[in-house]
Amino acid sequence: MSSDVLKNLFKKWSDYLHKLGKDIIKNRWLYVLLAPGIIWFIIYRYLPMFGLYIAFSDFSIVKGITGSEFVGLKYFKYIFFEHRNFWQLVENTLAINILKLVFYFPTPIIFALMLNEILNIKYKRTLQTLIYLPHFVSWVVFGSIVITFLSPSEGIVNQIIKAFGGQPIFFMSEPKYFRWIVVASDIWKEAGWGTIIYLAAITSIDPQLYEAAKIDSANKLQLIRYITIPSISETIVVMLLLDIGRIMNVSFEQIYVLANPTVYSTGDVISTYVYRIGIGNGRFSLTTAIGLFQSVIGFSLLMTCNTISRKWFDRGLW
Amino acid sequence: MTKYKSKIKGEVDSIKVISYIVMTFFAIICLFPFYYIFVVSISDPQFVREGQIILWPKGFSLQAFNVTFQHARFYSSFRISVFRTIIGTILGISISSSLAYAVSRKHLRGRTFFMVFIVFTMLFNGGIIPTYLVVRYTGLIDSIWALIIPNMINTFNVIVLVNFFRSIPDEIEESAKIDGANDLKIFYKLMVPVAMPAIATITLFISVYHWNALMDGVLYINTPNKKPLQVYLNDIVAAGQTEDLFGDASARWMPTLSLKAATIFASTLPILVVYPFLQKYFVKGIMVGSVKG
Repeated sequence: MSSDVLKNLFKKWSDYLHKLGKDIIKNRWLYVLLAPGIIWFIIYRYLPMFGLYIAFSDFSIVKGITGSEFVGLKYFKYIFFEHRNFWQLVENTLAINILKLVFYFPTPIIFALMLNEILNIKYKRTLQTLIYLPHFVSWVVFGSIVITFLSPSEGIVNQIIKAFGGQPIFFMSEPKYFRWIVVASDIWKEAGWGTIIYLAAITSIDPQLYEAAKIDSANKLQLIRYITIPSISETIVVMLLLDIGRIMNVSFEQIYVLANPTVYSTGDVISTYVYRIGIGNGRFSLTTAIGLFQSVIGFSLLMTCNTISRKWFDRGLW
Repeated sequence: MTKYKSKIKGEVDSIKVISYIVMTFFAIICLFPFYYIFVVSISDPQFVREGQIILWPKGFSLQAFNVTFQHARFYSSFRISVFRTIIGTILGISISSSLAYAVSRKHLRGRTFFMVFIVFTMLFNGGIIPTYLVVRYTGLIDSIWALIIPNMINTFNVIVLVNFFRSIPDEIEESAKIDGANDLKIFYKLMVPVAMPAIATITLFISVYHWNALMDGVLYINTPNKKPLQVYLNDIVAAGQTEDLFGDASARWMPTLSLKAATIFASTLPILVVYPFLQKYFVKGIMVGSVKG
C-alpha cells in the first residue's frame, strides 16, 4: 500500500522532472536569459536572508557560520532589555520619519497644485527642470553643501547672521537642530522630484470636469477643493500608506553624510548604528539582531499598509 | 454680473500669483547651492577667506581647481567612479533586461513563481550585516567589483521592464517564431529595439545610481585609493578631513571652503552636464513606471 503511494509519488516526480527537462531543452534560450539574474538574486538577495541566522548565534568571522554556537534569543533579550542605545535608535528613526510625514509629505502635493496653476508651458518646464535638479546629485554632494552653508566659520548662513550682528550658530553640532536639518534638507532635495507623481495624476483629470464646474460659476479655489484634490486623493492615500510602511527606514546615506558624533543622541538611526558597530566593531550577531527587528517591523507595516491600500483603492505597491 | 465676474478674476489671480511666487522662489533655492558652489570655486581664494563671496564671483581664479586636481586621491576615486559607472551600467542593464524579458514571457514555466521571487526582495531583505558577510564570502571586499556586483540589479527597475515587455503585443513574437527565430534572437533583434524607451530610461537610472552611490563604498572598501568619488568627497567635505589636501605646501594658505567648493563642483559636473538631457528621459521613465499603477 505505502509502496504504491511512494511509487505514485516517484512517478509524479519523474514525470515532472521529465517535462521540466524537455521544457528546458525546448526553451533553452529563455533559460539562458533568465539564469544570470536569478542566480544573482539567490546569492545577493536570498543568501543574506539565510544569513539572518547569525542573529541567533554567537557569530564571529573566525568561527564562521557553522562553527558558531546557537544562542537562541540571547541577542534579542539583550537589545530589548539591556542595550543602552537601542530604544534611542528606534526613537530617532521614528521621530525623523514622523517629522518627514508631517512636513515633507504634503509639500510635493502643494507644489504640484501650484505648478498646475502655471499656464505658461515654457516657464513651467523651466521650473520643473530646476526643482528636479537636486534629486540627481548624491546625498554626499547635497549634504556637503548643506554642511558648508551651515558651517560656523565659513558658511553663508552664519555670515549673514554675523552681518546682522548675531553670534554664529553651530548648527551641525547641536542635537536639537539635527532632525530639523534632516527634514529640511530632504524637502529641499526631494520635494521637487516628488511632485512628478502628483502632477501626472493631475494631468490625467478630465478637463470636462473643470468646464462643467466653470459653467456652474465655481471659482478657482472651489475647482481645486472639489475637483483637483478629490481626483488625486487616491494617489495621496496610496503614497501615504507606502510612506507609513517605510517608517522604520531612514536613508542611510543622508544620515551618514549629515550626522557626526555630537548629534548621535538625536540623529543616530538604526542603519548608521548597525554599520558603525557591526562592521566597525565586528559585533555581527548583535547588529544583525537589530537589523532583523527593523526588517520584521518594516515588512509587517508594509504588508498591512499595502493590504489596506489594495482593499480601499485596489492599488498598492504590488 | 460684471461685478461678480471681476470677483472671480481677482481670486484666480491671487492663487496664480502665489503659485508663481512660491514656485519661482523654490526653484531659485534649488538652483542656488550649485550656483554658490560654482561661484566660490572660481573666485579668488583671498576673497573667499574674507567671507566676501555671497552672490557674485570676485577675482576670477582657478587655483582651487589646480589644488583639487593635483590631489592623487581625487584622480583615483574619479577613475574608479567612471569605471564602476560604465561597467556597472552595462552589466546592470543587460542582466536586468534579459531577466525581465524572460519573466515576462507566457511560455516560461513558473513565471509567477519567478515574479514573486523577485518582488519579495523589495519587501524583505537580509539587512546590512548578512549582505556584508555574503559580499565578504564571495571574495569582493576591497575589490572594485564590490561596487558593481552586490547592487547590480535593482528590483524596481526589473519590475518596470517586465511591465514594459508585457505590454508589447504577442503578435510580434509569434510571427518571428514562425520564421524560426529562437528566444535569444527575438530578444536581441526584436524586443530590445521595441523596448528601447524603457531600456534607455532604466540605463540612465542605473548610471546615475552608480555615479552617486556612497553606501557600498563605505561598507565594502577599506583601502583609501580604492574608494569611489562619493566616499572621497564625504571624507574631504562632509567629514572635513582636509589635512590630506593641505599636505601640499602651495595649498596651505588656501581656505578650505575654496577647496571644498572646487571638489564638489568637479564631481557634480558630469551630472550637471548630462542633466538637461537626462531629465527628459527620467520624467518619461517615471511615467513608464506608473503605467502599471
